[in-house]
Amino acid sequence: MISRTEARVLWFCATVALFYLLFPVVVVMTVSFSSSKFLDFPPPGYSLQWYRALLDEGWLSSYWITFQVGTLTALFSTLVGVPAAFALARYDFPFRRSFEALLLAAIIVPPIIKAISLYLFFAPIGLANTVLGLVLGHTVTGVPYVVINLLATLKGYDRDLERAAQAHGATPLQAIRTVTLPVLAPSVLVGAVFAFLQSAQELLVALFLLGTVEKPLAVRMWEGVRISLSPTIAAASGTLVVLALAALAVVALALRSRRRAPA
Amino acid sequence: MTGRREERWIVFALLLPALVLYGACFIWPTGVLLSRSVTEAGELSLVNYRELLETPLYLGVIWTTLRISVVTTVVCLVIGYPVAMLMERAGPRARILLLLAVTVPYWLDYIVRTYSWMVLLGRYGFVNQVLMWLGLVDVPYSHLSSELAVLVGTIQVMLPLMILALFAAMTRIDRTLMDAAAAHGASAWRAFRTVYLPLSMPGVIAGALLTFVNTVGFYITPALLGGPRQTMISQSIETLAAKLFDWPMAATVSVVLLVISLAILVVFNRFFGLERLAGGDR
Repeated sequence: MISRTEARVLWFCATVALFYLLFPVVVVMTVSFSSSKFLDFPPPGYSLQWYRALLDEGWLSSYWITFQVGTLTALFSTLVGVPAAFALARYDFPFRRSFEALLLAAIIVPPIIKAISLYLFFAPIGLANTVLGLVLGHTVTGVPYVVINLLATLKGYDRDLERAAQAHGATPLQAIRTVTLPVLAPSVLVGAVFAFLQSAQELLVALFLLGTVEKPLAVRMWEGVRISLSPTIAAASGTLVVLALAALAVVALALRSRRRAPA
Repeated sequence: MTGRREERWIVFALLLPALVLYGACFIWPTGVLLSRSVTEAGELSLVNYRELLETPLYLGVIWTTLRISVVTTVVCLVIGYPVAMLMERAGPRARILLLLAVTVPYWLDYIVRTYSWMVLLGRYGFVNQVLMWLGLVDVPYSHLSSELAVLVGTIQVMLPLMILALFAAMTRIDRTLMDAAAAHGASAWRAFRTVYLPLSMPGVIAGALLTFVNTVGFYITPALLGGPRQTMISQSIETLAAKLFDWPMAATVSVVLLVISLAILVVFNRFFGLERLAGGDR
């Protein structure tokens, strides 16, 4: 049991920590609805002028690029990550630990190193300043998310379901497609959402691989923040808060359906 | 049942897309970068490394980076531990609320979180208003471009990662052990110190390694909240590559960063392996 004093100390510490964590987010959201021309907090009144400014200043093209890159990254990461997760969950093979370490490295190696090494490699072969180049760069980081999220589910999955399907005349591939994949779909979706989210928020690879010709959202925000602290950035931030909440909702729903699935 | 040979082909086919992607877009480019650091005019040479060691600027940047990373890790641990502990010990409803409060900022763009600190810490920002109202400051001045600003922003960005790593390990602790300690007459503090804290060590180590490695390579927040004296390794690589076009030195400083990151990776992989990242680190 948790004692009263213990509970009080913990709640006090947690309240301070959560205030520190959440207050800045609340500030950005509030400022984005400000009627002032400046970054007053608390704002003197409320309006949607900064969201309108997003439309007027042509931010939509940035959202579109980020959506394209993020969606393709999620797709590529899934196509590469799902088979890799199957290999890790179901087979024993030499270099297995090395392969896991490679996936770990893909997440841990700092973005600046990925950015300049990919730039050096892509520039001579014409992949720098292309959407495809950036998608490949973001897929490197996206794949581990797909693998990690799928691996836990795959290991807990009862293979007898698949064997039962085969006993009833399904080919191995048919069994995987009609029985296993639907059970795994929520976990794959969660991995894909992570892959999309990391792509949408990644700055340095985007800056080096596409930043000079197109402005993905992160690049556009970065340049905006460096030049002025205009509240338009707050409005763009507001849309990203919504994106994070939406991703969280998708993941929560997927996890709920995963718990209900016969695993 | 499938034969050994056939199985090997299946594994190969399953891993092929990943191997092609990582070979072409991760290992090879990193190799190209490494090669740029050890060549000078097409010949093998360590001249770049000598320049690195002989330039106080680079050594200063490395020192700043390590210092900020250590402080960030320690403070995140101290602030995050009680939050994670409360999360683990709270009832299901409170736990979901706390998880939500940690996960939402965790998934929010770094630039957004840093931007809000720029708004708060600026000369006419909220922090100064409060300080002036309290009478602690007479003339408003900007708190930006300082090491304190970098730390305040970076710790806030890294805190959710630490909390989630701690929480993941704490959920594995058998709750009855604390009750057993209490039943045998241990005070709450003693039970915590002798039972709970040692059992939560895997989370402490995992959280510390992840926080440290993320901070060492961090770019966005230090670049926005710090001044020239808070330049960290990632910033200095970016400047060398994008502004000075000094690719050999950019590559050489990158190798330093890569070695630090991979050293931590090796330790993490030994202790925990890939699956401990579940829930996602970015």
